Amino acid sequence: MPERKVKEKIRIVDERTVEVSLPNVDGYERIAMECSASFAKIGGLAKERIEDLKTAVSEACLNAVEHGNKGRPEARVVISMHLGDKDFRVFVKDEGNGIPHIPQAIDIRRKVERLEPPNGLGLFLIQQLVDRVDFNKTTNGGHVVNMVLKMENQPAPCPRDQDQTPTVIESTR
Amino acid sequence: MQQTNQFQMEQQSGITLLHIQGDITAHSEPVILEAYKKVDEQETAQKILIQFEEDAYINSGGIAVLIQILAHTQKKNQAIGITGLSDHFKKIFNMVGISKFAGIYNTVEDAITAMS
Repeated sequence: MPERKVKEKIRIVDERTVEVSLPNVDGYERIAMECSASFAKIGGLAKERIEDLKTAVSEACLNAVEHGNKGRPEARVVISMHLGDKDFRVFVKDEGNGIPHIPQAIDIRRKVERLEPPNGLGLFLIQQLVDRVDFNKTTNGGHVVNMVLKMENQPAPCPRDQDQTPTVIESTR
Repeated sequence: MQQTNQFQMEQQSGITLLHIQGDITAHSEPVILEAYKKVDEQETAQKILIQFEEDAYINSGGIAVLIQILAHTQKKNQAIGITGLSDHFKKIFNMVGISKFAGIYNTVEDAITAMS
């Protein structure tokens, strides 16, 4: 048989951790959405929060494809999902240098009045939909978005300290 | 990976109802802009109701396309409504601020009553 290099695309690391490696193609984010939703459902995340999770994962993957990996076909987007006792964590890794500017808010009126481009909503949505999000550079030269959704109603998270490194954004939802 | 959208138009009570089938993403832009262009040619273009499929996947790229439509309707003083959204996407549209520029309705009947 000819030697064939097989890359694992979905890896069950242990019973609490699943990793998915996706091609750098717009559209495959839906695999990550469904995979994370199924895993979070096992952990008991509420139905409404699962919808939040799906949108947040989708937007993080789309950013990774377009901005992190800059559409390079050989690059990959790696999504790691971890089911904790009190939260569900998703790490979306790309091979880019990170996000130069993280918008704190969007001005829909300026977009509708064509004073600024209509896109650029993804990071805003992620921040709104998850309980906590961090943006970190990785040691091997890539970038990772770490999103956390709490399993139960927890006390309101602390406000974001903008000078903190790595960047940590606490949602006010 | 590109998906395709289809659209259909109909008139109801002086409102142009635009059914958009399929997921709403950045790839929907040519179809949705073409659909709006056709709607804009109608006599009832002053009131437009967009109906999405309730199980449609909508992402930020799709919302950006919708913002382009809102830019046109604002400029032309057209009333616009949106229906067919799941509860999750109603929440998202409120978060982004789409609801400041378009009425969000639970059903086509609700929209027609409110927009007539």
